[in-house]
Amino acid sequence: MSSNMIMLKSSDGASFEIEEAAARKSKIIANMIEVECVDEDKAIPLQNVTGNILALVIEYCNKHIVDDDDDVATEEASEEEEEAKKKKVDDWEAEFMNSMSLETMFELLLAANYLNIKSLIDLVCQTIANNIKDKTPEEVRKIFSIENDFTPEEEEEIRKENAWAFG
Amino acid sequence: MPNRKSIKSRYTTSQGNQRSSNSLKRGKNLELIPTDLIMEIFSRLPSKSIARFRSVSKLWSSMLHSPYFTKLFMTRSLACPRLLFAVEYRDEWLFYSSAQPQNLYEKKSLVVAPDYHTKFRGQTNQDEMCTYASGLFYFHNFILTPKEDKVPMICNPITGQYVTLPNPSNDSDSTSYLGFDPIDKQFKVLAEGYPNHHKILKLGTGKVRWRKNFQCPRYNRPCDGICINGVLYYLALKDGGDDDDDDDDNDDDDADDDDVIVCFDVKSEKFKFIESEYIEFFGQLINYNGKLCGIELVNGDADDSIELRMWVLEDIEKQKWSKYIYTLRENKIDDFNSLYVVGVTITGEIVLAMSYSYIYKPFYVFYFNPERNTLIKVEIQGFGANLKTGAQVYTFVDYVEDLSFIDAKQLKYLCSNIKNKKNKKKKKNKKNKNKKKKKEEEGKIHNIRKR
Repeated sequence: MSSNMIMLKSSDGASFEIEEAAARKSKIIANMIEVECVDEDKAIPLQNVTGNILALVIEYCNKHIVDDDDDVATEEASEEEEEAKKKKVDDWEAEFMNSMSLETMFELLLAANYLNIKSLIDLVCQTIANNIKDKTPEEVRKIFSIENDFTPEEEEEIRKENAWAFG
Repeated sequence: MPNRKSIKSRYTTSQGNQRSSNSLKRGKNLELIPTDLIMEIFSRLPSKSIARFRSVSKLWSSMLHSPYFTKLFMTRSLACPRLLFAVEYRDEWLFYSSAQPQNLYEKKSLVVAPDYHTKFRGQTNQDEMCTYASGLFYFHNFILTPKEDKVPMICNPITGQYVTLPNPSNDSDSTSYLGFDPIDKQFKVLAEGYPNHHKILKLGTGKVRWRKNFQCPRYNRPCDGICINGVLYYLALKDGGDDDDDDDDNDDDDADDDDVIVCFDVKSEKFKFIESEYIEFFGQLINYNGKLCGIELVNGDADDSIELRMWVLEDIEKQKWSKYIYTLRENKIDDFNSLYVVGVTITGEIVLAMSYSYIYKPFYVFYFNPERNTLIKVEIQGFGANLKTGAQVYTFVDYVEDLSFIDAKQLKYLCSNIKNKKNKKKKKNKKNKNKKKKKEEEGKIHNIRKR
């Protein structure tokens, strides 16, 4: 496979060079390439993604491009090798997400959603879920900046209905 | 700073798949997290967190109650069924669950620490285990307090809520099973006992009434049942007696009786028998990834081995079975006799578990991979370490969390004489409201935690 390079430009003007194969992880970019609206000399502008987040997206895509390249070869690879490889990716993903603040995760999720990268959406959603799993409603309100619009009576009622979940 | 509207329009125009316009405001950047992304995150949470987060705001409450979210959650939990443990010791039932252990083939010693859910007080007959369907457990005979009579009981092991049903008959020999029809999402209880033979209770109809007089065959001594894709299966002996006769004719010679599997289609309420020379070997029935499977475990030739014999029903119409025989070897199993087959994982491992454990000894679940011929031992921590002698452990391999029954209301509607709101469109006046309240009380919902 040839390693065509394409340019991406973040909302704050930073340019990134990325292998076409990696960029194709994004369905939006892959579509652009398909319909040939990508000019080789011009960077694709991504208005909704800032440079620091785009850097993370690119890091993720680069890491995951390798397995797609090997798709043909995997049939020959032994199950152990496959599992070792999967473990390696899992470990990398855990490490990758571990270094992020919740704030960054949300931004990354929005970027992944905008660029339509399914596996990254899954990864970030799962990580956020693990993060908020044991939180109280008050803590969750803070995280998502949500106003409590229940009256005290309504809140008591709904808490009562779900009392088992507060134990 | 861009305003909400402009961001939203950017999202919907520059992106192929349009996100829901009902978005949530977040953070100082005023960025919007589309509702469907919020639901993506939430569908990955345990039901307990979801129930708690319903009290965050009105929007979240309606979002987390919506049929769309319930379905999304179900799809997610169907893809990764959990291990569920019911531990019974001295009239107490404790429920725990955990995700399936990951990376089975990587390390030598695997440990799982399940989450504790709820405790039920009460007793049931030792030899009568419950049936399990679509997230709910059903006990044919449950004694809630020593003063009360045995009653059929349905419980949600995650929330601790339960409802009781009227007894189908006074016959102590009778038994009953919970079945679930996934097409109409309909629960039915099939009760079986002499002299009245079969009775059916359809749940969630607003009328808790046992119905009899439907076409049913005759058989004796039914035992442990299992519900797979809308069909209840249980082992029994085929009775040579007359089908239409309601009278007990046990005097028919037992020697004529053949081992059969009774199949009851929950939706159509039709019976079918499966007859096969193999059935007499079946110690238990399991769900083999949607197919019925009979299991026999016998001691192997070597001291530390057991032979696992499995008959998978490939085609119910042609009654075609595939037979598999495996030898399992594990020198660290102290007591082979306590082992039984629990089920099969979606990745094809056959799961065995101990039915009890000796004090101070760890509790294990075993994953047998027929293709690799490996037997992986997984230690269950938590309750495993505290098991008392005499405690029984029931393990389920395909537990799927379902939001449909995490509300006390929903479970109550299932088994009460009041119609579901959906069926009751008329606006009620004050008088009716009071009436309804009274009826709800009759609905007998108990919350274990309050006891």
